[in-house]
Amino acid sequence: MHVPFNHLQSMLLFALIISLAFGTLGRRRPVERIKYAAWSFFLFILVAVVIGWAMYPFSR
Amino acid sequence: MDEQLKETPTTEPPESHPLQTGEALATVASAREANRELSAFAIGFAGWLVPGLGHALQKMWGRALAVFLAVAALLILGVGMRGNVFTSRGEDAFATLGYLADLGSGAFYLLARTMETAGPDVSHSTGDYGTRFIATAGVLNLLAALHAYEAARGRKA
Repeated sequence: MHVPFNHLQSMLLFALIISLAFGTLGRRRPVERIKYAAWSFFLFILVAVVIGWAMYPFSR
Repeated sequence: MDEQLKETPTTEPPESHPLQTGEALATVASAREANRELSAFAIGFAGWLVPGLGHALQKMWGRALAVFLAVAALLILGVGMRGNVFTSRGEDAFATLGYLADLGSGAFYLLARTMETAGPDVSHSTGDYGTRFIATAGVLNLLAALHAYEAARGRKA
């Protein structure tokens, strides 16, 4: 089995799975779970993009 | 008269000292607490061994399913991306840390070892991502097992 993901796909999938798990573990009510998962997902992507741009000047 | 008084049987019940009753209650409460702690530890261990089992034993079906699917998905994708499943024969501190993180998956760690037939390939970014996926599966499972343990103790729900 080979899973050919690029950087962006891997990051999105990673953030999605972890956010869903965090939402389910961290909250009890379904609506709160969805909100928490969405907020976690957003923060994952935001932090990744910010760190990515912060490293950009040192990449070459 | 005095003899009659001496022979009269006393019908009063034996006095129970208030302190003795309190100590008995404390002993029972302590035993219950120890029992609960042992049960919580067993639930935490079960949650580590099989992802989601700790929550399933407490009838938290949604959480059990979410933990099981998340850990399984991360491991399968990680192995599919040819990530590194670390062994106990690590050459440096990072390999040892990676092994500890991978072990967090419990029985799924053995599954990942058997699935990794082609071996790791971390020369590409995909393989490196796969290594992180596998390690994250272990750490997530440890977090879930700790959550199940705390829930069994009544601290979280």
